[in-house]
Amino acid sequence: MTPTSGPVELDRAAGSSSLIPPDQGFFDSLNGELTDKGFLVTSTEELFQWARTGSLWWMTFGLACCAVEMIHVNMPRYDLERFGAAPRASPRQSDVMIVAGTLCNKMAPALRKVYDQMSEPKYVISMGSCANGGGYYHYSYSVVRGCDRVVPVDIYVPGCPPTAEALLYGIMQLQRKIRRQGSIER
Amino acid sequence: MSDYVSELMGVEDASDPTTGDVTIQNYTINFGPQHPAAHGVLRLVMELDGEIIERVDPHVGLLHRGTEKLIEYKTYAQAIPYFDRLDYCSPMCMEHTFVLAIEKLLDIEVPLRAQYLRVFFAELTRISNHMLNLGSHVMDVGAMTPNLWLFEIREDCYNFLERASGARMHHNYMRPGGVHQDVPLKLLTDIADWLDTRLPRLFEDAISLVADNRIFKQRNVDIATVSREDAIAWGFSGPMIRAAGIPWDLRKSQPYDVYDRMEFDIPVGTRGDCYDRFMVRVEEVRQSARIMKQCLRDMPEGPIASTDRKVVPPKRAEMKRSMEALIHHFKLYTEGYHVPAGEVYVATESPKGEFGVFLVSDGSNKPYRCKIRPTAFSHLQAMDFMSKGHMLADTTAILGAMDIVFGECDR
Amino acid sequence: MRAPAPAYAAHLNDATIDAARGALGASLQHAVAEVGEVKLYVDRESIVPALTALRDTPGLEYQQLMEIAGVDYPDRPERFEVVYCLLSLTRNHRLHVHVSTDDVKPVPSVTGIWPVAGWLEREIYDLYGVLFSGNADLRRILTDYGFRGHPLRKDFPMTGFVEMRYSEEEKRVVYQPVQLSQDFRNFDFQSPWEGAEYVLPGDEKGMLPEAKGAPTPLKADQIQKADAATAPVATPKAGSEPYAKTATTDAGQTGAGEPHGGNKAESKPGESDVVPTKGEGQNQ
Repeated sequence: MTPTSGPVELDRAAGSSSLIPPDQGFFDSLNGELTDKGFLVTSTEELFQWARTGSLWWMTFGLACCAVEMIHVNMPRYDLERFGAAPRASPRQSDVMIVAGTLCNKMAPALRKVYDQMSEPKYVISMGSCANGGGYYHYSYSVVRGCDRVVPVDIYVPGCPPTAEALLYGIMQLQRKIRRQGSIER
Repeated sequence: MSDYVSELMGVEDASDPTTGDVTIQNYTINFGPQHPAAHGVLRLVMELDGEIIERVDPHVGLLHRGTEKLIEYKTYAQAIPYFDRLDYCSPMCMEHTFVLAIEKLLDIEVPLRAQYLRVFFAELTRISNHMLNLGSHVMDVGAMTPNLWLFEIREDCYNFLERASGARMHHNYMRPGGVHQDVPLKLLTDIADWLDTRLPRLFEDAISLVADNRIFKQRNVDIATVSREDAIAWGFSGPMIRAAGIPWDLRKSQPYDVYDRMEFDIPVGTRGDCYDRFMVRVEEVRQSARIMKQCLRDMPEGPIASTDRKVVPPKRAEMKRSMEALIHHFKLYTEGYHVPAGEVYVATESPKGEFGVFLVSDGSNKPYRCKIRPTAFSHLQAMDFMSKGHMLADTTAILGAMDIVFGECDR
Repeated sequence: MRAPAPAYAAHLNDATIDAARGALGASLQHAVAEVGEVKLYVDRESIVPALTALRDTPGLEYQQLMEIAGVDYPDRPERFEVVYCLLSLTRNHRLHVHVSTDDVKPVPSVTGIWPVAGWLEREIYDLYGVLFSGNADLRRILTDYGFRGHPLRKDFPMTGFVEMRYSEEEKRVVYQPVQLSQDFRNFDFQSPWEGAEYVLPGDEKGMLPEAKGAPTPLKADQIQKADAATAPVATPKAGSEPYAKTATTDAGQTGAGEPHGGNKAESKPGESDVVPTKGEGQNQ
């Protein structure tokens, strides 16, 4: 299955890059199709990607300081849920794990276990310098120097801690990544 | 069959136990280390009898980052940010303790404006910390809305702290001898407005939803009652000891900076249960606002850092013109300052209780030993006797009322 | 005391030392008040009666044990020091009690006096390896399950000996020896004129005697004498014009490149998929 499909082609026909949001013409054509025929035709892959990006339920893996910013991004000021991303406490229900904070040796087996329990497709956002590479605690005897030594990471959000906006941007980047490379078999 | 019937009729002693006499073995469950109500990475191994807690064995250290070891390898100035990251809900108060400990060893004077600024921002941090704790406590026992409102206050606090220090969370604002930079007047007036309008409106609204709420009281009143004797023997401090009925506040009894000029009351609990701890914190927020207003009223103009050039670097503007000032700045930021040999234990009233630093200096530019006294360590240890005999669902209320942050507990 | 540190009843320091001398008797080795804080050095074996006396004697009344800190002094015969920080709520006073020990001699546990000591002693045991006799639950507390060594000892490296990663073969996290891509940069801040014994690279230049006459950065063997023009000597290496064009012909030093070079076959990097013809490419 090739990644090019309906809406993207329409987008290109409108002459705009896929980076900027679809313009009015796109919506008009989509709306026209819907009112004309009563249904839309798209590829299943498009549909899956749309569903995946629109409901990124994330696993609350708050480890340290970054967890506070992770809570802040869910609270009214930043309101992550408008992107369809809701916090879940159970790994079985979640699609993306936000590793927020320093991953210590004692915690690493638990992190991996939780990651293994998540159902496919699953994504990992590494939040903050400690999770990215140890950060301020890089040379400590008890810190894993980056959570990518334990789980595969899709998006790294830098900062100590990243502001709530930065995390929000990281989640939007993950959505872009899923749209770009998503397929049924990941 | 007739045997069985006669057994049931009570004629003979039943060989099979009937429903009421079934002996259930205690079983052990594992709470955490990944649990939304654990406030971080706590692992509780609980022994339950049905739903009654028999024994709790908290396993901590899941966030043990080796802070104390790292501090021994860094200069004093480089070690201050580690304190921000200890109790990440109240970073300023952690820094405050450390700089006070360094100052005590150095024996340097701090200008009055700097002392006021420190107290001012420490109290703002206290408000921000209590917002997180109160909000998550009510959320753990089932209420959602107050948390959303209280986090709005937290966002305001973060904005103010960012305007003062440049960082939302890890401020690194305080320095031995003062603070890093002065604040603009507009910031102070904005905070004054906020203290008069937004804070009381949001806060009192949110608290009015839970303080008299029947469900909230059912979940908290008479849960985990701690007597005065227990509170002393288990090394409680802060809101935990005050809720047990002991009016002990280090800001009052052992004042540091300008707390001796402030007028504030110490809220005290009467029963020592989770509800008292909650209400003590609620009142502390109001008292913090009161202290902040007094700071704004009395804060003098003047320098914000000590004039001791051995510790405090030259001003930026001076550095741009003078070669000597540049060298001086370079030396202070690479080698740092040498602290006279000695041992001090300095404790301050952090929002969670007595946060202490036992600092051993050998006269070099790095601490020889920096033992951090976390508040949560002694409180969490008491988890076993506090939750004995309570239901499993009360654990979250007890934990929420304890106000534990693992960055500080595990270091 | 000029610093704005927490002000407790420091005027009680001397009275406290006197009272402690009376209450503890011979078990008190010595007592001092430094930096405004009272330190009592107590025999290890009598720590429990000493702390009980400090808690219960009227006039001392240290009700709360706030902290037990461990300190490592590797040079001492008994290398570890265990420091009990006490607080009196009624007298508003603080006190440290110091006890020294090493890694085999156990310190009597004070859990019988203050239950809070349980975890504090576990922590010292975990981080320093100090044993506490009488502590029923002396497990590791902060470090990982199965951790080896005592990390806060001065001879334990900051980065430890092992690090953790997930092993795809074993499907679990495993420990492996530490490999750092960049070492921790530990600077030596000792200023060279305050008695550094070692020789830094470049120091040997200062060993040559300085020339007579006016001060100059040149050394004695680099000075051109006025009458030296008659003697056929080579140009000095460090002349006033280091980039003098006349003296330098090597293209590697001038950076000028060769007059008509650049397109010669041997100067090009070899490309594996280009088969060279016999000196005549398509361009010729």
